[in-house]
Amino acid sequence: MEYLIVFIPMMPLVSAFVTALLGRRVLKSSSHVPTVTAAAAAFAASLVLLLLVYRASATSQEPFAATVRLWSWADIRQPALEGAAAAPLAGAFDLARFHIAVTLRIDPLTAVMLVTVTCISLLVAVYSIGYMHDDPGYARFFTYISLFIFSMTMLVSVSNFALLYVFWEAVGLCSYLLIGFWYQKPEAAAAGKKAFLVNRVGDFGFALGIFLIWSLYGTLDFHDTWNAQTGELISSGILGGVRTSAGGEGYVHGGVAAAIALLLFAGACGKSAQFPLHVWLPDAMEGPTPVSALIHAATMVTAGVYMVARSMPLFEAAPIALTVVGCTAGFTALLAAYIALTQNDLKRILAYSTISQLGYMFLGLSVGGVVGAAAGMFHLFTHAFFKALLFLGAGSVMHAMGGVIDLERIGGLRRRLPWTYVTFLVGCLALAGVFPLSGFFSKDEILATLYKSEVGGVYRLLFYAGLAGALLTAFYTFRAFFRTFHGEELVPVEAGRHAHESPPIMLAPLVILAVASLAVGGLFGPTGWFEEFLSKTPGLAPAAEHAAHAVQETGHDAHTLVAVLSTLAALAGIAGAAILYLGPPGPLRAAAGAARALGLYALSYRKVFFDELYALTIVRPLRGLATAAAWVDRYIIDCLADLVGLVPKAVGALLRDVQTGLIPWYASAMMLGMLALLAALILI
Amino acid sequence: MGNAALLHHYLLTGGGLFALGMIGFLCRRNLILMFLAVEIMLQGVGLTLVGWGRYHGGAEGQLFVLFIIAVAAAEAAVALALVLTVFRSGRSLDVALLARLREDTVPPQAVPPGDWETAAGSPAWPRLPTVGRRPQIPADLTDYRPRI
Repeated sequence: MEYLIVFIPMMPLVSAFVTALLGRRVLKSSSHVPTVTAAAAAFAASLVLLLLVYRASATSQEPFAATVRLWSWADIRQPALEGAAAAPLAGAFDLARFHIAVTLRIDPLTAVMLVTVTCISLLVAVYSIGYMHDDPGYARFFTYISLFIFSMTMLVSVSNFALLYVFWEAVGLCSYLLIGFWYQKPEAAAAGKKAFLVNRVGDFGFALGIFLIWSLYGTLDFHDTWNAQTGELISSGILGGVRTSAGGEGYVHGGVAAAIALLLFAGACGKSAQFPLHVWLPDAMEGPTPVSALIHAATMVTAGVYMVARSMPLFEAAPIALTVVGCTAGFTALLAAYIALTQNDLKRILAYSTISQLGYMFLGLSVGGVVGAAAGMFHLFTHAFFKALLFLGAGSVMHAMGGVIDLERIGGLRRRLPWTYVTFLVGCLALAGVFPLSGFFSKDEILATLYKSEVGGVYRLLFYAGLAGALLTAFYTFRAFFRTFHGEELVPVEAGRHAHESPPIMLAPLVILAVASLAVGGLFGPTGWFEEFLSKTPGLAPAAEHAAHAVQETGHDAHTLVAVLSTLAALAGIAGAAILYLGPPGPLRAAAGAARALGLYALSYRKVFFDELYALTIVRPLRGLATAAAWVDRYIIDCLADLVGLVPKAVGALLRDVQTGLIPWYASAMMLGMLALLAALILI
Repeated sequence: MGNAALLHHYLLTGGGLFALGMIGFLCRRNLILMFLAVEIMLQGVGLTLVGWGRYHGGAEGQLFVLFIIAVAAAEAAVALALVLTVFRSGRSLDVALLARLREDTVPPQAVPPGDWETAAGSPAWPRLPTVGRRPQIPADLTDYRPRI
């Protein structure tokens, strides 16, 4: 098991180096080979790891975690303090112990994330062989993809907040590189920059949160560290067994706890595109479509969800923070769904849908405990499959249509792209949450946990928001679906003679993902396997009893009620879209006309003016400040420097005329000088 | 004559030679003449050394001067070779023209040879015959000194 966890990130890293070094000159059009091989190996290893973890955790009631210590980075511990008494609980610690342990951890949460990431990576890498062929940056693309797989697998397997931050930034870098992959396009370059800068805002909060954790707990490790010889506790990790099994004792409470949790959530907001930092994700669609599928839908953007799930004990220490998470997520889910209603760019609709679905994941997490974390993580898991499927389907459409995915210019493609049509339909049904597809189970799980939450009040409100979001989701998904594949056939001129089905290498991942979207929900959802497995994660374990208690209290009827309600919402959304976009004019179309008249349409179409708002309140003042600073530099600082330079120049001008170049002149100067010296010698 | 009186004569003669050489060095503009002036200064110093040596009754002064003469001979060879090179490059030995190290803003003290030789009213600068060319003897001189 220990070898596997090192092996998984190592393969993509090696492949990234190989592709970077040999790609352009040697591998050329076979640059995908190292990446696909590495992703396949990593996926196989992840599956084995998952099985091993499952077997290890199933045998006992205890939470399961194993760590592999690679080396110590930035170790500035004083040797004398090595054996000093441990500081197991909050508040008491020794600052002289600072070190960053490069340690990988194996636990159920990591195993699930690894399988998700490597599976989607493998399928997207295979798909990219077809999608990116003949691109001049073929080798570069696969280098970045490999680097991303490495960073993401490391992100989910490190056992330290500092390293989590490192790989958090590394996936951000890969995201930046891949959004701006076609850097000749000004929009792509600007989108990359925007993604980076917006993420920076969130990352600043994340960094502050880590500082606060360090100054409160005295360690950044997730795991407990034991002295190998004596078996003594050296330090208790923030999410380690010692602290979590101490119940509430191990954690700081009150305002500081809320500050930590909210700062961490700020980082998650940036990476996972939650309001108010959601603006970068739709623009990130400028990157190649496989990238949108892999990074901006299935894996990287879920890093925030993973991080919140991972640090759940810190959030549980501050219930108010969980409520904030829930409100932000609920608002984001509704807002993004509302914007997605009117967008005309297929990928942008999917991007807003991603934001909305990430909101659902955070909604699940906001319930707290293993129930919330399992609901959020389960939605992450299923969403990865069907959203990757939808993006790859959109990529297939884009491939056939010569890069055009404007809904105004395409339509009725179901006969031209039969495979894409069927797989896209599966993805849409899964996203809309129709029984028995995976989206149904995971969304249902989230809504049910919200409904059953003991806190009530706000959560009941969030439940209704989630239900409304489900309606909107179904509507915008099928609006995009109907306008792309149904109605009159409309093929843009850019498509030329390429308006046919994509090659098998692109269809195979679509079919696999479609099957996965159909199956994973039903396999893992109703059986409770997912939740049971995740409850063996150390940080999530202690709340398990608490959660089981909550489930018993509300009973099973509530679950059925929620399922019926969410299915009704999904079907209503689909029916609405069908009537509006397929059927004859009717009362619904009249209602849509009324909404348009009220300005609701324009508000949604212009993305609720967030870009304009940020431009006005942040970009413009900053630009003004920059102009002022440039003026000060140019006219004040530079002038001072020039002034200093003038001094030697002036002195030089005074003495310049002495240099005549005439030998007699210099000789007489020497003589006179000698005479003066002699006179001084004699007279004084 | 007492020792001190003899020393006085030596010192006066040496000082006189040094002063003469110095005046020559400062006033002359021809490199070779300036070099000769320097030689005179050197000999003045040598003479004082000899005088002092005799006054103290030791042989060191005289010996030292013998060395100086030998070194001066070698040095003269080097200096004359340099002078020759300077002439080859500039076609003139006027130090007023060899002022290339002056600042750009300082005006030159002399016009280049091509100009001042032909310019009307220019002073007839003392010059030595060009090396390697047969001297042009004025006709009136050859009349009464035919073997010059």
